[in-house]
Amino acid sequence: MKARIKGILLALAAVTTVSLAATACGSSSPTAGSSSAPAPLVVYSAQGYAQTVIDAFQKSTGIPTKLVQDSTGPLLAKVAAERSNPQWSLLWVDGAEAFASLDGQGQLLKGYEPNASLTAAGQAVVPKDKSYVPTGLTLAGAVLYDPAKTPNPPTSWQELLSPAWRGKVGMPNPAISGPTYPFVAGMMSQLGGEDQGKTYFTQLKANGLQIFNANPDSLHALTTGAIQLDLAQSSTAFAAIVKNPGLKVAFLNKVSLLPSSIGIDAKAPAAVQAEAKKFAEFTLSQAGQQAMLAGNPNGDSLFWPLVNGVSPRQGVPPLDSVAYQTVDPYVWGPKESEINSWFTNTIVK
Amino acid sequence: VTTTEESAPVLVDGGDVTDAGDGAARSRRWNRPAVAKVVYSLFGVAAAVVLLAPVLVFLLVAVSPRAFGQGDQWFTLGPLASVLSGSSLQALLNTAITGACAAVIATAIGAALALLFGRTKVPLAGFWRMALWALLLAPSYLEALGWTRLVERDGVLVGLFGTDITWLRQLVMGPAGVIWVLGTRGVPFAFLAVSGVVRGLGRDYEDAAGVHGAGRWSRLRITVGMLAPGIWSALAIVFAEAISDYGVAATLAASAHFPIATYALAGAVTDFPADYPTAAAIGWLLMVLVLLALLAQRTATRGRSYAVLSGRSRPARPVPLRGGRRVAALAGLIVFFVLALGVPAFGTVSASLLGNFGSANAGSFTMDAYRQVFQRSDLLGPVLLSVRLALITTTVAVAGGALIARLLARTGRSSRGRATNLLDLLMLGAVALPGIVLGAGYIFTYNLPAVTYVGIQLYGTLTLLMIGLVAGALPQVSRLLAGSFTQVQDSLRAAARVHGAGVARAWTTVILPLLSASLLWAWLLTFADRLLELPLASMLYPPGQQPLSVAVTSLIEGYDFAGGTAIMVVACAGILAVIGVALALFRLLAPAGWRRWEQR
Repeated sequence: MKARIKGILLALAAVTTVSLAATACGSSSPTAGSSSAPAPLVVYSAQGYAQTVIDAFQKSTGIPTKLVQDSTGPLLAKVAAERSNPQWSLLWVDGAEAFASLDGQGQLLKGYEPNASLTAAGQAVVPKDKSYVPTGLTLAGAVLYDPAKTPNPPTSWQELLSPAWRGKVGMPNPAISGPTYPFVAGMMSQLGGEDQGKTYFTQLKANGLQIFNANPDSLHALTTGAIQLDLAQSSTAFAAIVKNPGLKVAFLNKVSLLPSSIGIDAKAPAAVQAEAKKFAEFTLSQAGQQAMLAGNPNGDSLFWPLVNGVSPRQGVPPLDSVAYQTVDPYVWGPKESEINSWFTNTIVK
Repeated sequence: VTTTEESAPVLVDGGDVTDAGDGAARSRRWNRPAVAKVVYSLFGVAAAVVLLAPVLVFLLVAVSPRAFGQGDQWFTLGPLASVLSGSSLQALLNTAITGACAAVIATAIGAALALLFGRTKVPLAGFWRMALWALLLAPSYLEALGWTRLVERDGVLVGLFGTDITWLRQLVMGPAGVIWVLGTRGVPFAFLAVSGVVRGLGRDYEDAAGVHGAGRWSRLRITVGMLAPGIWSALAIVFAEAISDYGVAATLAASAHFPIATYALAGAVTDFPADYPTAAAIGWLLMVLVLLALLAQRTATRGRSYAVLSGRSRPARPVPLRGGRRVAALAGLIVFFVLALGVPAFGTVSASLLGNFGSANAGSFTMDAYRQVFQRSDLLGPVLLSVRLALITTTVAVAGGALIARLLARTGRSSRGRATNLLDLLMLGAVALPGIVLGAGYIFTYNLPAVTYVGIQLYGTLTLLMIGLVAGALPQVSRLLAGSFTQVQDSLRAAARVHGAGVARAWTTVILPLLSASLLWAWLLTFADRLLELPLASMLYPPGQQPLSVAVTSLIEGYDFAGGTAIMVVACAGILAVIGVALALFRLLAPAGWRRWEQR
């Protein structure tokens, strides 16, 4: 028996040694090396062009910067889990609502505005307390369609309630697809309030609205003909057109500005915050905006730059040609949880 | 059945060898089990603290959100009360039922396959075995996607037959479809759990029954009875895997509006704003389900011993199948694999080979995505990192899992070992909790200001990611190995010791050869699983060091759905190649004695 215990202890010791050795050699290379460097920046981002911008930023400033890239949902879940001890210096995702909520929790550095010459649309999405920095613009609620199957796309949101569009409209679930909530909030905002908005979506549902989990599903439904109109984020719609040039996009009156934004950790050391400000400023420089436009040419790079003198990629129409509105994230951000669960329980069902 | 004094009690009363000493020695040995208990408890506690504290911490969030910065209350039962009502309760009930049905289906099919492969000469056995591995590697969402693409409105079946098959769509896009997909996903687990036992069973007992006049069905009943450790192990593991599955919950079940607990749980985390207390409360209930499954397993196998692998055991000689049986076996295999593997393969083809977002038109078939896989230099870093992580964590997990399996096998035979029972529960609980919340648990635990204050800086390092990956793999490994360990009679090792072999020599020359094939399979299985692990990796990877799975997800998120899927397919092919090479090397290089118990 003793021998058996000894044997198991020996084996345990062996396992422990192996795992220690393993973890030691695992962590020795890059992580240990970076700990000696002066306060590296850590960027949490869901933007497809983030790495390209980071590379350009490091080249230009020499500030070591590391990326954690994931989709918006898991990334914000990570930020929430780290709330008592944040590990990110910068958060860079689409949608102002999440930032408004984080600001409400006191997680964002307030009162910082980079020195940049913003377009009118760019200025419209800067928050009053300057707690986050908009870096680019997309639109929520672009209507993607196939002109071969749908020669006459709708011209107004109310038209979607008519029998002509019964069962032919699809959109992602805002609770699952991050950029869809700003569309729902924008509709509610322009229809006069949450109640009117809920009535509209209930009527849309009664007219056969189809809900998909995320964008690839609704795009698939559009191409099989299961739906004729896909309500999507503009960058998603333009990306779909790159893949399938037969598709077209229509903007109904009105669609909502959906900015990509950067927030800086309120609890970060002053030195890190100073570097983070440099990063935010870099994204609004000519070089930074160009890097954003180059980083993910068939996806997130299909946005509207909000710095004067920088043009969007080819295939993206001028923003002035679209009737857009701004949605107050400080009104609609706090409602996100309640509206998403209403949507899931009432519309998705 | 056995004649040596030492091993007889093992078979008869299920007691440990050390408990069965003669009366004279009893008083001297009295405290030895106590010592063992202390040592095992210490091991259990150490394993729990290092690897499984995150599970407990995550569950704590449900009752004390404020301690982890997730709310205002230090103590509350609100989240638990809210998930025990309305739609959450319905989701939990759905989860329990689908999990149980999937476990039964998977175990029935898995046991049948294990007996078929272990006892008979099936034509094309190697091919079917590879197909099982492919089944294990294919993510559940691909099978769900394949089914959806087949039966959807304007889907492939409509294209083929011209008419809409409503009844099939309603069947697939509902509870039945969910159960079937979860069940087929569980078949490889069930097969591995049962085949380890089949391998060690030999034919002696069946022949003995035959000699005493038992008919075919009685013999089968006796065999199945002796497979009980494997079967219950399979039921428990498939149940835990099924109730934690997210791929099906997020696709088939979500499209069918069939609420499932994991979906609600993951939604509570990834919907904005993240609601960890509610997620943790659902986690509690999943743990309770696992506890019930474990209790069922315990009750069913309590007080019995399944130690059948002794010095005289001989591997069963496979019987050739003839005539009708051969046709029936082949037909069954073909039907099963077409449904279980053909459908996800179709899902993959649809997702990665068809341009145009997967609509099947003539001329939309393209190999572009695959051509691009081999031109991407930016993926080299993630691939190398993932391979390194998988090699290290798999090796550690198999070593640790073997130890735990031995503990489970030993204490399974006796009433002591409460710590081991707790360890077992925690580990199966870790399976039942979706990876993303396990990851969140690691963040809560190792990112606490108090923990970093005392100098433990683990979060954000590869070390913590590896610990997480090991912890995530341990439950499967130990469960898969437990069945095989249960079969090894301690008398074998004791005999080696009596003949003068040291502890290490007794292990390496007696126990290791008997278990080498099981260990190899467990290693390969875990390697495949760890290489493409996503949820933990995405929560815990250090800034700037993307593992492969995270990089692929980024691609898919960056609108390159076909490219991302193509990489997964290439990665799975690579894993299959590694498995093939490893098995070939084992056949060529391992000593003959090691291969004796290899599954044929």
